[in-house]
Amino acid sequence: MSSTVSTDPSPTAGTVDPARPPRAGKRDVWLVFWIVPAFYTAFGVIFFALARVMPPPRPDVTVDQMVHFFHAHALTIKIGFGVLVLIVGGAGISNGIVVYHMKRMTVGSVMAYIYLGSMSVGALPGCLLVAFSFLTAVYRPGRDPQILAMLYDLGLLSYVGSLGCFSTAYFAFAVAILYDKNEIFPKWLAYVNVWQIVTEILTVAVFVSKAGPFAWNGANSFWLGTVIFGVWLVCVIVFLKKANELQPADEPPLD
Amino acid sequence: MGDFVAHTEQAAGEFDTAAASSVTSAEGRVHLPGDVHMWVMVLGDLIIFGAYFIIFMVFRARNPQEFLASEQHLNINIGVLNTLVLLASSWFIARSVQAARADDHAQALRLTYFGGLCGVGFIAIKAYEWSAKITQGYTISSNDFFMFYYMLTGVHLFHVSLGLLILGITVRELRNPRRRRPFMVEAGATYWHMVDLLWIVIFALVYVMR
Repeated sequence: MSSTVSTDPSPTAGTVDPARPPRAGKRDVWLVFWIVPAFYTAFGVIFFALARVMPPPRPDVTVDQMVHFFHAHALTIKIGFGVLVLIVGGAGISNGIVVYHMKRMTVGSVMAYIYLGSMSVGALPGCLLVAFSFLTAVYRPGRDPQILAMLYDLGLLSYVGSLGCFSTAYFAFAVAILYDKNEIFPKWLAYVNVWQIVTEILTVAVFVSKAGPFAWNGANSFWLGTVIFGVWLVCVIVFLKKANELQPADEPPLD
Repeated sequence: MGDFVAHTEQAAGEFDTAAASSVTSAEGRVHLPGDVHMWVMVLGDLIIFGAYFIIFMVFRARNPQEFLASEQHLNINIGVLNTLVLLASSWFIARSVQAARADDHAQALRLTYFGGLCGVGFIAIKAYEWSAKITQGYTISSNDFFMFYYMLTGVHLFHVSLGLLILGITVRELRNPRRRRPFMVEAGATYWHMVDLLWIVIFALVYVMR
């Protein structure tokens, strides 16, 4: 991180003027950038290893089995989602740096605002609702099994089935990249966003499917979507890093 | 020392050969239609659809009777009609690329409109087919086959709609004398042919396979 910052050519680096100290480069942008992989690593550990939401538990189980799921994983759900509720702002940071670079494009700010708004709304059903459903379920384990079963369905349906906000955000991101003449991101990254929209469409059947490829733990709805999301995330992180590196250190602050 | 000179000469000889071959390859380089970004899209999309097709085949192999029995309820004539409509659209688009390369932009524009009209026709026929199936009681939640049927054809329909948008960009490109960049016309055609190719596989898997 620091090495990259120091290699940035600063036009004022050679002159020592105590009244106007040289620009500090983009330390703030780099700080925000490195939070993105850190946040998603923590996100993965929480959802895969602790809360057991990924891969999702089966939808085609009895109420007793749903209750058993909460009893078996009560401690890790409390630890995992307790931490998530603390660090969930990392999603805002991740969206913030994408929006920052979108605002450096030639397309103006409207797509950046659409991305920001859609992702912010999407975080509620796509991330927080499952956390609060599961935390509520393990808070009083002696609750009526039917209520626990409802929290199980609510949490997983909202987590896997929250689609529209994200597809809108991917749409805005794709359009912005395609129109941009500053080449902040490569054009093909726009098409990776289109694949993401496709996976969101293919997930729509989770609301009617209780088993098989289109259920919330299915090969199409969950696995393929998750793999493509992984590809998208790696691409976005790599090209955010490139965008940081290529941004001139003396570029004036954005409006 | 002699060995060293020999080695150097050999290395120089190899370098010459390499240089000569690179010139040859530069001269004989195959033109990539469209741009590399669209090819990333097309090849990646083919991989994603390939995964869908494999998942379809796995679930079909688990329950072949149900899939075969459900398949009988599809109207293969409509499937054939849609295939012909989409093949015709690809034919128009391919000829439009040739016309654009020959600087016959009026003809290229006309052919792109015909291709797009076929795309609209495909969507209309698909909408009729869906509504007929739904009135017959075959919905997305009927069984695994119909879920695949609606999802695969639905995602393909999304690609057709996106293709119409891309053809719209091709039209804008061809209408403006200041633009008319051949690679844009080729990139649109590359995408449109992928939509056609995907439909042919979907048609074979969902309608025809016994």
